[in-house]
Amino acid sequence: MKAKDLMIPIQDSLSPENTLREAVNHLRIAKKGEEKVGLKGMPVLGKDGKLEGMLSMTDILKAVHPSYMSLMNLSNFTWDGMVESIAKDVANKRVEEVMSRDVITVKEDDPLMECVDLMIKNNIKRLPVVDRAGKVAGMLYEKDVFFEIVKAMLDDDYYVINS
Amino acid sequence: MTQEVAASGQVVMGAPFWIATAIFLLTYGLIVTDKIHKTILALVGASLMILLRIVTQEEAFTSMDLGVDWNVVFLLVSMMIIINIMKPTGVFEYIAIKSAKAAKGKPFTIMAIFSVVTAVVSAFLDNVTTVLLIAPVTLLICQALELDVVPFLITEALASNIGGTATLIGDPPNIMIASKAQLDFMAFVYNLTPVIIVVLIAYVISIKFIFGKRLKVKEELRQRVMAMNENEAIKDPVLLKKSLVVLAITIGGFIMHGMLHFEPATIALAGAALLLLVSGTKDPQHILAEAEWSTLFFFMGLFMIIGGVVNVGLIKWMSIKVLELTQGNLIGTSMTVLWFSAFASAFIDNIPYVATMNPLIIDMAKQLYPNFSGVQLLHHPDIMPFWWALSLGACLGGNGTAIGASANVVVCGMAEKMGKPISFKKFMLYGMPLMVESVIICMGYVWLRYYVLKI
Repeated sequence: MKAKDLMIPIQDSLSPENTLREAVNHLRIAKKGEEKVGLKGMPVLGKDGKLEGMLSMTDILKAVHPSYMSLMNLSNFTWDGMVESIAKDVANKRVEEVMSRDVITVKEDDPLMECVDLMIKNNIKRLPVVDRAGKVAGMLYEKDVFFEIVKAMLDDDYYVINS
Repeated sequence: MTQEVAASGQVVMGAPFWIATAIFLLTYGLIVTDKIHKTILALVGASLMILLRIVTQEEAFTSMDLGVDWNVVFLLVSMMIIINIMKPTGVFEYIAIKSAKAAKGKPFTIMAIFSVVTAVVSAFLDNVTTVLLIAPVTLLICQALELDVVPFLITEALASNIGGTATLIGDPPNIMIASKAQLDFMAFVYNLTPVIIVVLIAYVISIKFIFGKRLKVKEELRQRVMAMNENEAIKDPVLLKKSLVVLAITIGGFIMHGMLHFEPATIALAGAALLLLVSGTKDPQHILAEAEWSTLFFFMGLFMIIGGVVNVGLIKWMSIKVLELTQGNLIGTSMTVLWFSAFASAFIDNIPYVATMNPLIIDMAKQLYPNFSGVQLLHHPDIMPFWWALSLGACLGGNGTAIGASANVVVCGMAEKMGKPISFKKFMLYGMPLMVESVIICMGYVWLRYYVLKI
């Protein structure tokens, strides 16, 4: 099994110039495969279709988390409504200010273990799959890798024993 | 390596002189351009000084005059260890939240109290450390009160530089001066603390005029601050009590070190070791690793570079030129040192500046009083005002621009991360007049105390 066999062909992407407001709405209504499920992360593509970054739910959470909160232990001194009001403030920020830039990608013909290795070592749940031209062909999701593993387990052992 | 200084007092400008001068100028020049990290430059310069046989490794590593001043390095690293152990207790969050509540959430009162607290804490801790401990809480309070953070960040950075000037341990230039001039903690308290108190009062009055009217807060927002419970900040009360006891002993040690004939670094090292022992730290690795090694190696590299130019006589040559310029006039020399240091430190890092000025003042003293040596020379009544002028100028001068002091650089970085960048011009607009004000006060003080009252 290779990356391209499991990936979901790319349907939705964001532009670096999108505002966060546009981006979260796009994530909310996005489709994965056939079903309209909403997505937790999406690739950010430049005008030439090249991958510029990824915008994930975590990036959005980081966008409302003020930088000074990481410097000290201040969680006891926050107030009700703080997240909501900062969310309104950052809604007009551009995707490129918030997205993760150093994106780990795989090539279409990379074996599945390479994908699993990258997911585990870098703690990521979705991997953009790029074609030979360097464009994003699809997305490989942790869940789909998991189902593939499930299939392998049931085929080899469980299925045999039960039949 | 033989001293390249002839017995007649003339400097021999041979090949080693020019090689060392070139390394020195190139390193300092590249530090100013900020293209390569200053620590890397300092270590490259230091290596070249040894490789090109300007100083021997033994001189660079062990000589007080030509090499690394371990007094400075150990004092800095020990204070860093003490802070790193204290930080997780939550004491700094506690102090800042308590201050904001004491101000009843009123914006200018918060600004004034935060400035004074920053100045007082800076007198005992490194300025950058202080700003890193106070500024995050300031940003939180400003967010709660929906206030512009920029005036608060600028006033805190300036206050930390003012407060740091007050004591031997408050600012690296003072630590360096104390070591080279063999001045003790109480000497700094007697000579600098009084004028810094005056400077701080003038500063608070000035920022009242600059920012006082602009700061307004809605009543209901003040409740957010008043609802904060500072006691929740304390995460480890047991460690906090231990830390405060050790800190009190350490500061007591600093006050007594002159009488006890210990170097300040000995006191700091003992304090850090004691706190490591009583804190119950299982593995000191992460506490030690968190020390600012980049800063520490910057110091070590600089000391070796300065050792090189001292050895070849460049500093001596410079001191002769300064004395020619001031024609040996003592008041004139003090005032020149004060103002030149202030403007030099506003634009270049005051640490390499003071590293250069220390041996220069010693050389000037040697020119003026060739018959004196050792402490008699360093503490000559005519020389003492030079040290204080150097400290006041170099420490306070940092307030002039956004790059003048590390604390300024840190707050500008924080402001930028908050989406409120402070331009070089904007910082200077506030910093420069306040810096000039403080140096004018110091000028009056140095003149009155050392040349009129002579006390």
